[in-house]
Amino acid sequence: MKTLFSILAAVTSFAALAQPEIPYREYEPLDQYEPHVSGDLKLSGSYQYWKDPAKLDYRMAGNPDENWKLNWKFMDPPFNQAVHGGHFALDRGEKLFKQLDAHHRFAVCLGAKKGKLKHLRAGYPRWRDDLKHVAGLEEAIEYCGARQGRVLQNGSYDNSAISLYLASLGNGQPIAIDVAKGPLKEAFERGRHLFHTRVGAFNFSCSSCHTHNIGKRLRGNVITTPYGDAAHYPVYRTQFVLQSLHLRFAECNLDTRTQPLLPGSQPYTDLEVFMTALTNGYPISVPAERDW
Amino acid sequence: MRFTLVGLILLLATPAWGVDLPPDASVSGGKTMAAKVIVNSGRLAWTPYKRDLGRWLTLSYQDRRATPEPTPFEMKAPTNGDAARGKALAWQWCITCHTLPGDDWPGTVGGPMAKYKQFKHPDALVFQQIFDARIFNPNTVMPAYGTFGLLAEQDIRDLVAYLQNLE
Repeated sequence: MKTLFSILAAVTSFAALAQPEIPYREYEPLDQYEPHVSGDLKLSGSYQYWKDPAKLDYRMAGNPDENWKLNWKFMDPPFNQAVHGGHFALDRGEKLFKQLDAHHRFAVCLGAKKGKLKHLRAGYPRWRDDLKHVAGLEEAIEYCGARQGRVLQNGSYDNSAISLYLASLGNGQPIAIDVAKGPLKEAFERGRHLFHTRVGAFNFSCSSCHTHNIGKRLRGNVITTPYGDAAHYPVYRTQFVLQSLHLRFAECNLDTRTQPLLPGSQPYTDLEVFMTALTNGYPISVPAERDW
Repeated sequence: MRFTLVGLILLLATPAWGVDLPPDASVSGGKTMAAKVIVNSGRLAWTPYKRDLGRWLTLSYQDRRATPEPTPFEMKAPTNGDAARGKALAWQWCITCHTLPGDDWPGTVGGPMAKYKQFKHPDALVFQQIFDARIFNPNTVMPAYGTFGLLAEQDIRDLVAYLQNLE
């Protein structure tokens, strides 16, 4: 009997050794990303047209061949800065935040130093000792809300509304996350890898469109750069009410026939770190509106 | 006997691809779910998506499945394709990236298909390009419609007939 077990164990361990650790996954690496918005100059080159929001050439917005170069996605027509659904969410977010922060516990939990909220949004995603991983602002809001018994699911309207309110306090602040070392560097590298990993029925990676085919048309849409995209989330969208960046990833997945993941999942957070690092140096601009 | 019974129950209770779906995928009962944002609510609503996508790879780190390898397919002559049906399929599957005759919103990610006949490609080559273009170019962005089970052999034959007659 003992011999039989030994043979079985040997066969099993051999089978385990024979199994490849990492399954075959198609991956097209690209190493030249810079964790700053100006890195776009080496990718699409469109940064020169949108780097200074005060000096946008609005004539380009009306030209279908040039519109994409503005990368001004948060002013999709019919944009009206004064009136859109994002403002309602902002009001809701302010009300909820003030309820939760009545004893200043909520802001402290989110990581505001000396009650200063202005820099919160620009410094997320960040490592959180309590969660023992890198988390986005929406995950922190869900976590800190739960500590007070409040359900604020990642991606829900109320969660995104609070995130939007906190972002609005830092409007104009440049995004600033440091991915040069530690867990954020690791998350950035994982995010970069995911950005190039092919998935879904069409075997697309994010980069299939957003690095290799920038400026080309998918019928009525023109593909834009991944740089400078994270500074206007959560965003008001007429079709999706209020959309966090993770829900945008889920929508991208569905559009390319890929099974989406849950908001707050680690792959989406790693992609968020990657996308946010590519927005470093670009000012927060909320509440924003995107088409449908 | 007892183990056989337990095994049988487990086998019956597991959806066809349920074993492969990672725990962070948005699924319920093996079905793809889409998140819906409810105004003034702290909860997301989940509704079944119009397509089930669990067969294919996800971005999850716990998804241990592999990408289907590039697959050659030798199309046997004659092509026997229905060009009219091929046109309908092209306007459904190809038009987002490729320019087709009569399209006012041309896609430019893929090459233009107008006057495709002029290239005089063999039918088998066009078939392979649609079935799995990675055979010719490992870095192509064109989906492998055959290998990934999106189009049946006759669908591709119909597309070949349509494309090869575009003058």
